Amino acid sequence: MATRDEKDRIALLQGTLDLLILRTLLFGPQHGQGIARAIQSQSRDELLIDHGSLYPALQRLESQEWITAEWGTSDNNRKARFYKLTKAGRKQLAHETSQWERLSAAIGRVLAGAEVEN
Amino acid sequence: MFWRKRKDSDFTAEISAHLELEIERLRAEGLSREEAEAAARREFGNVTRVQERFHESKRWMLLEHLRRDVAHALRVFGRNPGFTLVAVISLALGIGVNALVFSVVNAIVLRPLPVDQPGQLAFVENSQFSAGHSFPNYRQIRDRNQVFSGTLGYRVVQIELESNSSAAVRTWGYLATGNYFDVLGIKPFLGRVFHAEDDLYAGSSPYAVLSYGAWQARFGGDHEIVGKTIHINRKPYTVIGVAPRDFHGTEVFYWPEVWVPMMMQAQIEPGNAWLEEPASFNTWVIGRLKPDISIEQATANLNTIAAELVRQNPVVNEGIRFHLTRPGLVGDAIGGPARSFSFGILLLAALVLLTACANLASLLAARAADRQREIAIRLSIGATRARVVRQLLTETLVLSALGGVAGYGLATFLSSILSRWRAPMDFPVQFDVSPDWRVFCFAAAISAVAGILFGLAPSRHAARTDANAALKGESQGMQGKRLALRDVLVVVQVALCFVLVSACLLSLRGLQRSLTMHLGFEPQGVTVAEFDLGLAGYSEQRGRDFQRRTLEALAQLPGVQSAAYSNSVPLSIDQSHSSIYPEGQPNLKNSDVHMAVTYEVSPNYFATMGIRLLAGRDFDWHDNINSPRVAVVNMAFARQVFRTTNAVGKRFRHGPGGAWQQVIGIVETGKYENPTEVEKPALFQSIVQQYNTTTTMIVRSSLPEQQMADKIRQTIAALDPELPLFGTGPLSQMLGFAFLPLHAAVIALSAFGLLAVVLAITGIHGLVSYGVARRVREIGIRVAIGANPRQVIQLVLAKTFMLLGLGALIGLGLALAAGRILETVVFSSSRDPVVMASVFATMIVLGLISSWAPTRRALRIEPTIALRHE
Repeated sequence: MATRDEKDRIALLQGTLDLLILRTLLFGPQHGQGIARAIQSQSRDELLIDHGSLYPALQRLESQEWITAEWGTSDNNRKARFYKLTKAGRKQLAHETSQWERLSAAIGRVLAGAEVEN
Repeated sequence: MFWRKRKDSDFTAEISAHLELEIERLRAEGLSREEAEAAARREFGNVTRVQERFHESKRWMLLEHLRRDVAHALRVFGRNPGFTLVAVISLALGIGVNALVFSVVNAIVLRPLPVDQPGQLAFVENSQFSAGHSFPNYRQIRDRNQVFSGTLGYRVVQIELESNSSAAVRTWGYLATGNYFDVLGIKPFLGRVFHAEDDLYAGSSPYAVLSYGAWQARFGGDHEIVGKTIHINRKPYTVIGVAPRDFHGTEVFYWPEVWVPMMMQAQIEPGNAWLEEPASFNTWVIGRLKPDISIEQATANLNTIAAELVRQNPVVNEGIRFHLTRPGLVGDAIGGPARSFSFGILLLAALVLLTACANLASLLAARAADRQREIAIRLSIGATRARVVRQLLTETLVLSALGGVAGYGLATFLSSILSRWRAPMDFPVQFDVSPDWRVFCFAAAISAVAGILFGLAPSRHAARTDANAALKGESQGMQGKRLALRDVLVVVQVALCFVLVSACLLSLRGLQRSLTMHLGFEPQGVTVAEFDLGLAGYSEQRGRDFQRRTLEALAQLPGVQSAAYSNSVPLSIDQSHSSIYPEGQPNLKNSDVHMAVTYEVSPNYFATMGIRLLAGRDFDWHDNINSPRVAVVNMAFARQVFRTTNAVGKRFRHGPGGAWQQVIGIVETGKYENPTEVEKPALFQSIVQQYNTTTTMIVRSSLPEQQMADKIRQTIAALDPELPLFGTGPLSQMLGFAFLPLHAAVIALSAFGLLAVVLAITGIHGLVSYGVARRVREIGIRVAIGANPRQVIQLVLAKTFMLLGLGALIGLGLALAAGRILETVVFSSSRDPVVMASVFATMIVLGLISSWAPTRRALRIEPTIALRHE
């Protein structure tokens, strides 16, 4: 297999999958498999996307009306369900991105401080 | 929202699209079709699980579960029709009884009078003389109180009412003060009602307001009725209006056909003008409380008036104190007993329901033991405990809903019978118990509570099910404590059942006896007709003439063997008493004065009624106003008053200083007030010497009684076509009132007996079933090591029959005690061997029926299967 061994990959933190999906859709409509592929390739295969939890997540986002979906045709002429970011979704993305940045910066500072003391 | 409408199939399509895209990508990387498929699936994980998560994310999941649970419940019931039938019937009985009792309580106690703001109305009760007030006192209460915005007075009266369809009828009306309708806030259906200014001077307001029912029944709903003249007690009254349909007066039990202004009292009650009489406490009073006045304030204010009334007229008003109570039931006179009786019955009914629930709970517990494997399997393949409990609760709620619907239907049916029922007596006792929204809500609420009550125990049991142990076939016993409660319950039920069954059989036995009972007269072949010459406006002289002429006309009819008349006949509702002071017993204390049932009868009365004359002579027409006062007494009178069997020639009087009356004959002792009484003294006076306007014509003939009744009607109509007859028909039919308690007892006790039997059967059945279900493995082992069927039966039933025996023993004690109370109503003794033998037989049959099915199950246990517990 071309993909890296699964043990090396980082499991996603709870709630971060939503953020990544929204971010991926910023570049335009995409279907489920495409979203999973895009996250994996953009993270240079560091992140593991459990395909099984992808769809419930999409479902969740759709119910929040942050994304909408309709059936379309993929690049290789297959029928697929394409998801698109809504206006509310963009706002949510901006909100969650800043939240994430604050969180990771804070965690980073804590970890850096801990190293100093070490 | 769109997503909610998304179908499962659409989601499945999306996932397969995903898998296809993934397979293509992997094949592009050089994998074979099979390898790519496997890898894609591996990557995706459990497809079904994802689909399930999608499915469950839908908001209607709860409803979906409910639908499936209900469907499952119905399937389960369909597979166990016996169980379902037993459960639904006992629930229907429990809930039905409750709904019925509640609808009666609702009609009598809870439902307010259909008037404006009924909560403000208060019935002014006169402590000393019970409900009524003298009219002069009413005036003072009305004019001097500071707490009522209006104070009305009324009186229930018997009247002779003309109607346009047939001859006049004797019926009931209200005399009401002019402000009656205005204080209540009643608007007429037609025309107008009378007001205070219509009711100022005695005899000045011959107006009548008809009830809706009377307008329909007596006047054919004539829309031109207002302004027409009708006759009440043969005097003209102008109909001024018709009351609204749902207004039946201010007393739940006395529905008037007509309201007449109080000032017409002297005309309405001829010969008894009491309006200005300070000692006639005939007026019932209702006040409407002013806003912000409490009952306590009102009572205090009224009692300052009471003190003033006592001061003004200490002789008649001595000891008067007022208190307020809810209107509708003659104050506390009927209201008190009616309210406590109602709530007592309601409590009893609740007990019945509780028992039914407890029985079902044990039945369900037995089934839960049976279903442990099913539940264990459900738990082990991933159902949560909450889900299993919810499903079991749904089952019981479906059961209770079925029972509730059936019970409500039963209650509606029975209450419609009850609403139509008229007591066989000359009284406007009538009430509307038809169920309204209150009854419906009550039935729905108790059904839900019942479902939760009896569903809770098995559900809790299920929630504790250990899937592992249950699947291995280890039965999980319940703690001893709960079992003990169940046992006690069965004992109580059996005892109760025993009492009710014996009461029921006792009353049936009484009914059988009453058909052959000796009443002291021979009702067969006797026909009677009653009328009241006072209401018809006859003077005494004309009345005497009329009675005599009617008797002569009747005696000449073909087929008549004998005819007479009297003021009343034994065992009718109208019985009078008088006090007796015998000669030679001076200084009799008040408590020692003899009371005798008293009749005024014409000559030939005893022969006509079939009462045997034991000594002396009958009255004859020479015993008249000018001759010495004479009397015929019964043997009980002779023995108790004169302490001799030969009392002819003895004298007595009705009070110190009264005229002496001489006994000229002695007749056999009969039944006078009720068929179960012990010997009572009775006195017969000559109606020629002691005129009475109330007249019962009595005819003994060989003709069929109904035919005779028609002839009597024609004969009397020829003499006075206007005279209303009531109570015309065979004497045996007129005795209905006397046997009313017996018939009511038979019906009520049979109903309760049946209820108790059904409950006891469910209870015992549940107990035995549970016992068997819990001990399947044990029985299997015993059979395997050689137990024979007899021993199995013994194992299964030993405890049950011990409990049954205990219950029966307690029941026997209670039944003997209760029988003594019942004897006064049902004419048979609980020591009657036939009754007791039947009760025991019933209990044995009942025990056998209820343990039959589970015992058979126990006998069919195959050791090989039982040990595997399949």
